[in-house]
This record gives sequence, C-alpha cells and structure tokens, in this order.
Amino acid sequence: MELDFSILLKFADALALGLWTTLKLTVLCVAMGTALGFLIGLARASENALIRIPASAFVEFFRGTPVLIQLFWIFFCLPLVLGVELSNLASATIALTLYMGAITSETFRASLRAVGREQMDACVALGLPRSVQILHVILPQAVLRAVPTLLSNCISLFKESALVSAVGMADLMFVGQNISNNTARPIEVLTAVACIYFIIAFPLTRLVTRIEGRMLRKLAA
Amino acid sequence: MTAIPQDAALVRITDLHKGYGAHIKVLRGLNIEMKPGERVVVIGPSGGGKSTLLRVVMGLEEIQQGSVTFAGKPYISAEGSKTRIDTEQRKKIGMVFQHYTLFPHLTVLQNLTLAPRKVHGVSRSAAEDRGRAILARFGLDAKADAYPSQLSGGQKQRVAIARALMLDPQLMLFDEVTSALDPELVAEVEAVILQLASQGMPMMMVTHDMWFARNVASRVIFCAGGVVVEDGPPEQVLGNPKEERTREFIDRVFHIKG
Amino acid sequence: MDYTLDLGAVTRNLGPLFDGLAVTLQLTVAANIIGITAGFGLALLVLSRFALLRLPAMLFVEFFRCTPAIVQIVWFFYCVPMLFNVFLDPITMGVLALGLNLTAFNAEAYRASIQAVPREHLDAGIALGLTPAQRVLNIVLPQAMRASVPVLLTNGIGTFQQSALVAIVGVADLMYQGKTLATQTYRPIETFTIIALFYLAVSFPVSQLVGWLERRRGLAAR
Repeated sequence: MELDFSILLKFADALALGLWTTLKLTVLCVAMGTALGFLIGLARASENALIRIPASAFVEFFRGTPVLIQLFWIFFCLPLVLGVELSNLASATIALTLYMGAITSETFRASLRAVGREQMDACVALGLPRSVQILHVILPQAVLRAVPTLLSNCISLFKESALVSAVGMADLMFVGQNISNNTARPIEVLTAVACIYFIIAFPLTRLVTRIEGRMLRKLAA
Repeated sequence: MTAIPQDAALVRITDLHKGYGAHIKVLRGLNIEMKPGERVVVIGPSGGGKSTLLRVVMGLEEIQQGSVTFAGKPYISAEGSKTRIDTEQRKKIGMVFQHYTLFPHLTVLQNLTLAPRKVHGVSRSAAEDRGRAILARFGLDAKADAYPSQLSGGQKQRVAIARALMLDPQLMLFDEVTSALDPELVAEVEAVILQLASQGMPMMMVTHDMWFARNVASRVIFCAGGVVVEDGPPEQVLGNPKEERTREFIDRVFHIKG
Repeated sequence: MDYTLDLGAVTRNLGPLFDGLAVTLQLTVAANIIGITAGFGLALLVLSRFALLRLPAMLFVEFFRCTPAIVQIVWFFYCVPMLFNVFLDPITMGVLALGLNLTAFNAEAYRASIQAVPREHLDAGIALGLTPAQRVLNIVLPQAMRASVPVLLTNGIGTFQQSALVAIVGVADLMYQGKTLATQTYRPIETFTIIALFYLAVSFPVSQLVGWLERRRGLAAR
C-alpha cells in the first residue's frame, strides 16, 4: 500500500474551513457554557432545595449520559418539542453549551468548597459582613482556583465538538470524513485530522499544568 | 478607644460550656474575669480547651451554656439551643491564628485595608496610609505590594497581626501564633507582640512557649479538662504552682523529673 | 407541541434495546480490563528512566488524551484493517479502540497517583533499609493503587459513555439500536429519552460510589 500525503494539499482549504467551524463552535459554547456553569454552580450551593435539586439533577443527567445522545436528542427531539426548526448550528450550540454548563458547574462548586474554613474564621475575626466575605474573599479565590480546570474543560469541549459531525455539521471531523470517503484515502486524511486536533489541544494541556502549579503555590499561603 | 471604667472587667466569662456533638465536651463550666490592661496567657495540656476558649471569645463558636460579657456589656450568651453573639461587640476584638489565614489572592496592603474600607467605610487613601504606617512599624514596609505566597512564615504572621490592628481592637487574641513557624522565625513575631504589650494592648493568648509566656504575661491561667485549674501571676503559675496538676504539667514541660 | 407521546412504540421493542445494552456492557467491561492492566504497564513506561521507553509511551498517552475519541474510533475502524491487513469483527475492533483510549487515560491516573506518594515515604523506606523493589512493592504501590481507584472508576464510566461512539461505525450497541428504533418508529423523543435513561441508570450509581470513596478518603486524610 502506498501512502500519499500530498493529496492533503489539495484539500487544505476545505480542512481549514472545517477547523474554523470547530473553533468558532468551541469558543461560542465555552463562553456561554461557562456563564451557565457559574450560575448552576451557585444554584447547587444554594440552601433552597427548590433551586438546588433541579440544578443537581441537570448536572447528573448531562454528566451521566453520552454526549452523543444529548446531541441527538437536541437535534431530533427538541424541534418536535418546541415546534420550530433548528439549524444544525443551533442544535450543536445548544447541546455543547448545556454540556459545558454541566461540567463547569462541577468545577465552580469544587473550587468554592476548596476555600478553607480558616478563611471564613479570618473574615469573622475581621468583622467582614457576609456580602464582603463572598464578594471579596470567597469568590475571587474560587475563580482563581477554578481557572486550570476551566481550561481543561475548554479542551474537553474542543474534543467533544467533533461529535457534531455525526449530525451533519461541517466541522473539521465532518470535512475530514467526507474527504476520506471521496478519495478512499482514510489513512492520510484521518491521520491529518487527528494531528490537527492534537496540535491545538496538546499545547493547551501543557499550559494547564503550568497555570495549575502557579495557582496552587499562590493560593497555598 | 472608648474609655473603660478601671473597676469593670474587660472580659467576663461565666460558666462556659462548649462541646462538639453529643459526647465531646471541651469546656465544662469555665469562669474567667479579665481586667483591662491585662495580658493573659492560657497554658495547659492539648485537648484542654485553650484554643476553643479563644475561638469562643472571638465569637467563632456556638456555646451550649454560659455567657461572655465584653467591656461591661453582654456579648455572647447561650439561649436554649441558640448562641447569641453581639456582632457590634465582636468588632472590638481582633484575632491572629496559627496558620496566618491571610487572603492569598490579595496583596499585603490589600489584606490590611479590606476590612477598614469595606466594614468601616474608611477611604482607600486613608486606609493605605494607615496600613503603610503599621507595616513600617513592624519592619514590613518593603512588602506592602507582595502577595502572601512571597513571604516567609514570620512575615506572614506579622502581616496577620498588622491586619488585626487596622481595626483598633480593644482586645487581641493570639492562638498559638508561633507554633507553625520555623524556630529562627519565632523571635520576630514574638518581638512584635512584646511591642504591643509594652504599649498596653490587652491580650489573651495560647502558647506552648513558656519562656515567651513568662516574658509577656501579666497573668497565667492553667486550663485542663475544660476548667480553670490555676490562675495567677506568671511567677506563681509557671515558677511555683500551688496546684498539683499545674506542677505536674510544668515539670513535664521543663523536663524536670519529680 | 403537536406530538403525542407514545411510549408503547418503545416498550414493544425493548428486546433490541436490551441486546444493544448487552453489547455496550460487553464493550465497557472488556475495554476496562485492557485499560486497567495495560494502563498500569504504560504508566511504568512513562515513569521509566530510559528515554527510549519513556518518550514513545508519553506520546501514546498524550495523543489519545489530546484528540477526540470519535476521531480515534473512526481512524481505528478505517485505517487499522488497511494498515495491518487484519479484519476483525466490529465488537472486537470496538473493544480495542476503546481499550487503547482508556489505557492512555488510566496510565495518566496511575502515574499521577504514583508520583503523589510523598518523597518522605521513600526516604523512610531507605532509612528502614528496604531494597528498591521492597520500597516500590510495600510503600509506593499500595498507596498509589488506593489513590487511583476513584479516577479509574471515573475513567471506566467515561468509557461506558464513550462506547456510544461505536454506533457511528456501525457496531450494534445501545446507541445504535436506539437510533435504528427511533428511525423505524418515528418516535425519537421516546426512544432517545429512554436510552439516555438506560445510560444514566448505569453511570449514576458508579458516580455516586466515586463521590463516596472520595469523601471517605478526604476524611481519612484529615
């Protein structure tokens, strides 16, 4: 069998377009999903069971089922439920945003809990009222603590976004599979697609490790 | 500082009971009367309730029975299963903890100015001037813009003391503030506390350092089993205790074989 | 909405769904056996002093961790037969693809827990006169194994969920059967909801178990 990687050059534009779609989708869903996750994280920390329990159920559902089903459900079922047509982009965005919201809410919740009891004692000893405690002591530390995991979540979402190819959205994976089918050159094309994902995700994982080390040193004080 | 009548107690602790859960009793009917200007050092075996006592006085703990007054007015009391804490009274007390508890995301100066600005409405520039002045007094002027993670343990603890002083407390509580420090850093923190002592700051502290206790205390209380066993001037309690339990403890601490 | 729910369409066809669930569970268990054993070996390679062993092992781990699982699976199903001229049944292919992915993630879990054993414990082992092999067997591994259990379980349940991806390359797992049924019966809402609940019914207890294990560890560490 002869491998011929030069055929990739012919499809460079198409692959670039697919990558662009992947990146746009990722950034959009990261932004909206993180905001959603922050709100759900707060809701899960609420003392009111009417707020806490639905939020927890939401998170358990999205973390306990395959993302592919979530995507299919929103793609095939949500239009029926709502009675409106949804574009591929809209369904994909909704699905990945909800998923990102579920995983980042866990991140925020864990980092809220990681702010030690001793910090609360210090707040009381300084006479800080509850609002100042939350706004100036707990939240800033929680957000700093959350940064590395949030970045990891972004990388996860970038990878999960490849699933939208299964519902026909023309992302990097979809374009790659199309080219691979049309040229009967899966080895060259699919390997190239995998390498593109790798080249973007790998440096980000290194960055996470470095930031994590720095944050932990800083917050250990 | 508000004037306190010289005959009144600064802190009066009456029949204080405090436990965790149903079975663990830490304080069992503790009575202490602390006069203004006193520097009380609480010593005793671990588990004897020393730190808990300080945490109660800071208003950090629920109590099961008893009451605490501060400057002649009610401060903490147990009412049924609830603990009433007068938070206005609590603001007059400052505390420094064993593990520094600086806010790691704020600089040294921001740590100092947070409470004055947010609680007492002091302007930023006034708070910062005051903060820099206190830091200078403690030899920390160069560290105003550093983050806690960039400081040594001794420096962190001095910043924690400075932070508490920003609120002009009428009583300072020190809970084993040198226990987490490397030996060579203990002196710099103790020097700061002695400086405060020489200025007449009332304080109550828990320490394992008997040499320091003798130097700083105007009065020593030996606490064991959740009650006050012996209470008197440092020469008595540390040098020539009257109670057998105190004597045993002091002998063990100084490794003197009976 | 003008859509009347009809669960009967699904409940009359539970047979294929249970067949699919059996395939999914089979994939999950087999991939976990590969992942738990091979992952440990790979972790040892990643921690090796010899660059010749360490670098390829690290590349393997990073490649699987930094590319989408769906790309790995599609690649595996299309390229392995062409590259190596082997033709296996789809379930075996699915097991291998998921197993290799899990191997990489578990290797990382093992590595992290081995490196988390405090240096002082090794020093204590040296001070007690234990041989290097004894130090590894008696000090490092028992602690590392216990620490890695929650992550291995989380990864294992992750593979259970990822196994739905093999539906895309035609393996008749739960996802595949569900999708087929949804198309045949024109009942996507009922079908997809019910298979989602199938997945949840397996994942949820395991994630609760992980949470419990971690809380217990947290208490023990205090």
